[in-house]
Amino acid sequence: MNIIKGLIIKDLLQLKNDKKTLLIFIVIFIFSSLSQNNSGNSLTMLSFIFTFGFGMFSISSFNYDEASKADRYILTLPVTRKDVVLAKYLFVVGSSLLGSVLGIFLVVVLASMSLLEMPSIGELLSLALGGLFGVSLILAIQIPCIFKWGAEKGRVQLFIVSAIMILLCGIMLTASKDMIFLNSFSNIVDILNNFWFLILPLCIAGIYLISYKVSIKIYAQKEF
Amino acid sequence: MENAIEVRNLKKKYDGFALKGINITVPRGMIVGLIGENGAGKTTTIKSILNLIKVDEGTISIFGYDHIEDEKRIKDEIGVVLDDSFLSDYLTVAHVDKVLSSLYENWDSKLFFKYIESFKLPKDKMIKDFSSGMKMKLKVLAAICHHHKLLILDEPTSGLDPVARNEILDMFQEFIEDEENSILVSSHITTDLEHIADYIIYISDGEVVISKTKDELLDKYGIVRCTKDEYSSISKDDYVKCKKNRYDYELLVEDRQVFKNKYRNLDVIDKPTLEEIMLIFVKGE
Repeated sequence: MNIIKGLIIKDLLQLKNDKKTLLIFIVIFIFSSLSQNNSGNSLTMLSFIFTFGFGMFSISSFNYDEASKADRYILTLPVTRKDVVLAKYLFVVGSSLLGSVLGIFLVVVLASMSLLEMPSIGELLSLALGGLFGVSLILAIQIPCIFKWGAEKGRVQLFIVSAIMILLCGIMLTASKDMIFLNSFSNIVDILNNFWFLILPLCIAGIYLISYKVSIKIYAQKEF
Repeated sequence: MENAIEVRNLKKKYDGFALKGINITVPRGMIVGLIGENGAGKTTTIKSILNLIKVDEGTISIFGYDHIEDEKRIKDEIGVVLDDSFLSDYLTVAHVDKVLSSLYENWDSKLFFKYIESFKLPKDKMIKDFSSGMKMKLKVLAAICHHHKLLILDEPTSGLDPVARNEILDMFQEFIEDEENSILVSSHITTDLEHIADYIIYISDGEVVISKTKDELLDKYGIVRCTKDEYSSISKDDYVKCKKNRYDYELLVEDRQVFKNKYRNLDVIDKPTLEEIMLIFVKGE
């Protein structure tokens, strides 16, 4: 566990260089939300934006590693390739969770300052989980892309892979419009509406698990 | 007692380049220098030993352990310096200590900071703002401060001024004072290896062409300088390689005393440097 801790500490210390950018990001979003007419709704969206922002922000640790060609050196330390992949996932997932918690905390603080109506726990949770789900979808594709092609090239590949996935989903939906199972589509929506607090975390865990397994395979084959 | 490193019949093929059955032994307590021109296969050999690339054939063992099966155990017992790669350029010395103390079981922070003080390396400056010499000193310190027995160094002195190079070579000498410690160092700065190495392994075009003790190589080998007429009187069996220059010929011979006794008419036989040996190998026939 010490090994994973060490790798995560390295990523955290590297990202300390970006603390000003992060702070500016937080301030801009709070003020832009406050300046809008429907400040109640937009402030509630803060929890969503923070989850998203922190998740995407943590990805820049890959850029730092690439700039220092750190992977090659790290793999000469008593670290396995699995450790490197696991540490990255824990760091990225942890960052988006931290963003989510921070977002909820800010909304509660701002609401208690009477800047908006206190949202219900359900509302807050749904926004935070929605943010986590959205960021998980992106990161789960992006991380294996980065492990495969590197931080710079990985971005281009992310767009290509995402476009292919959206296209495939579109084709599948169009082709299956008249199929019987979609007649029960409204039932699925009902289930989602009622059990989102269970389904979303399970989906997030599933997405990351598949992504992690793919990354492990990619990284095991990689030469440095 | 087993050797520090044993590489047997190492093969690795790339497009346009291949390691063709490399054999290397690093005995305990010795500094083994790996020399060769750029692209000869030095770094590929080191990467194979460190399991950074997959080998096609061959076996590699470190302290008797298999380099893949016992990778984690081995890497806790070795220190590595790579020319173009480090933990991160966006950390400070204090950060490096913090991270490496989590990664190495025997990391010695006290020793690390003692060296940092003596080399006057700034503790709070980003590594990216260090000079090449400072950066290399830090890399070497990171490699030697966890009480291990083997250092593997890839081009540790390239791009450094003579003062920084000397300081780093002194660090290696200090490390090897413990007779249990060993170093495998690749460099194309052959004068550095003339100072510190006990054994020299010369790799050319993916093959080991010379593997000898440094003394044997420098004291026994010779470079014969002769005219075209003199050259034609020399049997091909009596020299290793011949390099034709504009006005004369240079011949690398394995035993200059034996050669001297056989060809008494040739009196220009010099003690070679590693650089001259390399040049004749690369440019000679």
